[in-house]
Amino acid sequence: MKFITAPFELLIKYHYLIYILAQKELKIRYRGSFFGFLWSMLNPLLNLIIYTFLFVIIFKNTAKAYPVYFFCGILPWNWFASSIMESSMAIVGAVSFVKSSTLPSEINVITKVLANGFNYILSLPVLFLFLIFFHIPIGINLIYLPIIILIEFFITCGIAFFPACWNVFFRDTQYIVQNIMQLAFFVVPVMYFDTQLPLKLRKLIYLNPLAYLIKCYHDIFYDNIPPRPELIIALLIISIVIYVLGFWYFNSKKEVFADYL
Amino acid sequence: MIDIEVLGVSKIFKRSQTHYFSIKSAFVEFVKRGFRPMPKHTIKALNNISFEVKRGMTLGIVGKNGAGKSTLLRIISGIMKPSSGNVIIKGKLYPLLELGAGFHPELTGRENTIISGLIMGMSKKEILKKIDSIIEFAELKDVIDEPVRTYSSGMYSRLAFSVAFSVDADIIILDEILSTGDISFQKKSKQKALEYKKNNKTIIFVSHSKEDMIHFCDEAIYLEKGSLRYKGDVAKALELYEKA
Repeated sequence: MKFITAPFELLIKYHYLIYILAQKELKIRYRGSFFGFLWSMLNPLLNLIIYTFLFVIIFKNTAKAYPVYFFCGILPWNWFASSIMESSMAIVGAVSFVKSSTLPSEINVITKVLANGFNYILSLPVLFLFLIFFHIPIGINLIYLPIIILIEFFITCGIAFFPACWNVFFRDTQYIVQNIMQLAFFVVPVMYFDTQLPLKLRKLIYLNPLAYLIKCYHDIFYDNIPPRPELIIALLIISIVIYVLGFWYFNSKKEVFADYL
Repeated sequence: MIDIEVLGVSKIFKRSQTHYFSIKSAFVEFVKRGFRPMPKHTIKALNNISFEVKRGMTLGIVGKNGAGKSTLLRIISGIMKPSSGNVIIKGKLYPLLELGAGFHPELTGRENTIISGLIMGMSKKEILKKIDSIIEFAELKDVIDEPVRTYSSGMYSRLAFSVAFSVDADIIILDEILSTGDISFQKKSKQKALEYKKNNKTIIFVSHSKEDMIHFCDEAIYLEKGSLRYKGDVAKALELYEKA
């Protein structure tokens, strides 16, 4: 029982510290800049304008409101990818935390995921703006958004624990992870529609839980349909399993972190 | 009543743990040694250390740089795991191994105080209650909402120190931090350390200052190259340390 509950007890016990540290990450990112927090919105906005121009005007992509399709997939993808890449440096970048405090170092990893999650939520207004601009109805299906965000949070944390840990012993991990993430981007249907793929490849792509997750985002924003309930339940269970496994893997390695830093 | 019990603690660092392993070093190693096997290289940072500290006592640790003082403190705090032996702690332990843990230059003094306090194990309620007295103790009321990067190094350490000393615990571990700030602040911080002593806290104290050692400690141990050479009278331990 403790095997299941302990990873969540940590979240509850240190929620305030994790929240404050994630806030600190964002504050540091934008401190000193004139627009400050607005950059979390400006960045995606400018990106979207560039992509719209590229795909619609240059490549003449005729799919319905393609930029919106692309956008509602890439935002959660960015959340995932940045979290994983930043997490691989989370422990080696927190030497004083690991070596002189008795708090669990899992906090450093979760903080990175949460900070990027805040970033994602801050970029949502821009997405809504574009939904309106492309005349896509914003519907009741948005009520699924919080649960999908929660699922992504747990999946991302769970996966992030692994590179965070490996990078302590093997510093090449961070560079390998960066390259894997670039490759992984094409394995998830963000740029293309899954229907564009041959059936065989489509099956292959949906072996990846992240592909389903991105599909949920497409459902609620782009297609304006409720995601299949069994899909949500399956994803929720998968996310919890990944989180718990990642947590215990990290936990089993963390007592020697101080020796290697 | 024994608060801290250290039982036969040893710590061995393997070579790969103290050196980075890279393709370059592997190549250099190969050129130098060919196919002959690498010698097993281990560093014994601590060698079978045992001692105990009674409640309300202040134990001083002296020894040269690299004698294993910090490693020992980390093991007692539970941050590092000993290679063999174990440590029994009774009560809430609070390690003060580094000043300004979690400080970031771009954040304001107030923000840093909150983060640092939380990292040191205070609860939200505790830190919000204590923040005013922390700022007052650091004598930084006027600049507390400025980014810490604008502080002088003295101001910076005063703030770090004040946060550190606002924590409440039964056992406190102090690693060379009493010599912070200007003279008047040093006086204040020593006052604070004496207050801890008066409140019957158990303290482990590391310092290179002979004066502080004699002033604060009831007992002392002398470490040399990872081994415990002497335990007992403070003056005797200091004498051994100075002779070495």
